[in-house]
Amino acid sequence: MLNRLTTNTRIFFEGAYYSYKALFRWLRPATYLASEVFAPLTMMIFFVYIGAYASGSNSASFYVIGNSLIFAASSGIFGVTMSVGGERWSGTLPYLFGSPANRWAMFVGRAVMHVLNGMLGVFIGLGWGILLFKLDLSHTDPLALLLTILITTFSTSGLGLLMGCLSLITRNVMLVNNTVYFLLLVFSGANIPVGDLPRWMQVISQGLPLTRGVACARTIIDGGSLADVLPLLQVEFLIGVILTILGYFLFKIFEIEAKRMGTLDIF
Amino acid sequence: MDAITVNHLRRLYKSTDGIIKRTTKEVVAVEDVSFEIRQGELFGLLGPNGAGKTTSVKMLTTLLIPSGGSATILGLDVVKDANKVRPRIGFIFGGERGLYWRLSGLDNLRYFASLYYVDEATSKKRIPELLEIVGLKGREREKVEGYSRGMRQRLHIARALLHDPEVLFLDEPTMGLDPVGARELRTTVKNLQSANKTILLTTHYMFEADALCQRIAVINKGKIVALDTPEKLKENVQDLSVVEVELYGIPQEVIERIKALDFVVEVSIENRDQRQVMQVHTPKGPEAIPVLVEHLNGLRIGRIITREPTLEDAYVRLVGGAEQ
Ligand SMILES: Nc1ncnc2c1ncn2[C@@H]1O[C@H](COP(=O)(O)OP(=O)(O)O)[C@@H](O)[C@H]1O
Ligand SMILES: [Mg+2]
Repeated sequence: MLNRLTTNTRIFFEGAYYSYKALFRWLRPATYLASEVFAPLTMMIFFVYIGAYASGSNSASFYVIGNSLIFAASSGIFGVTMSVGGERWSGTLPYLFGSPANRWAMFVGRAVMHVLNGMLGVFIGLGWGILLFKLDLSHTDPLALLLTILITTFSTSGLGLLMGCLSLITRNVMLVNNTVYFLLLVFSGANIPVGDLPRWMQVISQGLPLTRGVACARTIIDGGSLADVLPLLQVEFLIGVILTILGYFLFKIFEIEAKRMGTLDIF
Repeated sequence: MDAITVNHLRRLYKSTDGIIKRTTKEVVAVEDVSFEIRQGELFGLLGPNGAGKTTSVKMLTTLLIPSGGSATILGLDVVKDANKVRPRIGFIFGGERGLYWRLSGLDNLRYFASLYYVDEATSKKRIPELLEIVGLKGREREKVEGYSRGMRQRLHIARALLHDPEVLFLDEPTMGLDPVGARELRTTVKNLQSANKTILLTTHYMFEADALCQRIAVINKGKIVALDTPEKLKENVQDLSVVEVELYGIPQEVIERIKALDFVVEVSIENRDQRQVMQVHTPKGPEAIPVLVEHLNGLRIGRIITREPTLEDAYVRLVGGAEQ
């Protein structure tokens, strides 16, 4: 029993490690640097100036924090989708589903490295904020911020897992992915204060991951304590759990249906 | 005990056509397949493209639910006991997909070892052994995208052996390999069999089945049309001879007319450069030649010979030979 647990843990982490390696090893250091370090910068500059110009009121730190967390979301959504959906592309699905491996360990392990990668993205974003936009972290409780970032990357990776499973089922996943990403850009409060949105849009915002994470991060950087944000963080975490479980069920349904319909290796 | 039993296995595929008016067509990929494979046997499933080989293997490897019939591996039902079957079998499908091309061969093996619950100590010992067996020693740290087709195929075999399965399914393992690569792979398969594994090999090459397998089931259009040792299959055609006529272009209606002759059992055409070789299976032997020549009147005829039938001819006769 315990033995089974440790071996499943191994599947979990090795799956995480190798799927991540398979995804990123082709990038040369320079390309990696460009996509992980400089792409966020251009996006941040874009939103800080456009945003400040358009709203006139919001400070640069509003956009810096919002967009740093958007990087977590993009890593979660695109990274995880690619590592789950990529199995179809590489033709490995029959070999994965023909193995006795625990499906839960195999599936969720995919998300782990992208959570870490997403967190790195957030730090890089905040780093640019400090360097270029006078982001002030002197009132920030570092542990509370770290926890917020961790939970937010977790919840957006949960969305990524769900999208990844969709990518096994539908073929048009990049379109769906981009739409979801765009939804997050608009509805999460990263670039437009949620309070400024029409009522019906706010309802959508409250259902998405990221929204609460962004709000928490702003509160903490403003000097708030962990206790101030804990209720929101709990819901953010819960959203992540729900998305992950939904994704897992979709994954199981896909497996059963593919064996019934004979679509396991169609791509 | 039999390692594999297959009982009237059947599988349909539904395919939908049309955008406005959806029509659903049913394709019978496997109509009725039954056989038993003994423990330690190297068994061949031989048939032309589209005969239902891959579909059969998918059902036996728990990747596809049968539409009818049943099958057991080591006494376990492939549908009901799928979870117990999986750790005890290994399988590869022809072609080069199914590996992580951006990872090294070694990383591929390590990952699949963890999926099969092979513990660290065992996989540290077994992976080098397997690399040796499949002839990839020294290349394991290179990325799979730089491998040749043959190397990828052999890496697949190593992957299938990681957990030391008792039963192996090899679906057209030499597909797409050059002659040298194919020969190396056949040697590997032969060695596996001496390691006392039960192996089901599928192929569309008669000579491959002949060279490797102890028994061969010939499958055509989803049905087993013959099942025997290579020697016995050859005996089935011993009563016939084959008349080979070299031609430079032959109209389809002439082939049809020759097929209809009462002393002709089967006609197959083999294309060789600009020539065709028509092979006529007949009990009459050389006596058939004058009548054949009469029917070929007006065509340019090359060499004509009469020869003993081979296993290839037995196969051609079983699956119907016109296209080659
Ligand atoms: N997923 C599928 N959907 C519809 N038809 C299929 C599918 N897979 C195979 N077929 C059809 O089933 C038949 C048998 O295919 P297959 O088992 O792949 O044959 P083989 O491996 O002997 O070449 C073929 O006619 C093929 O076109
Ligand atoms: Mg096939």
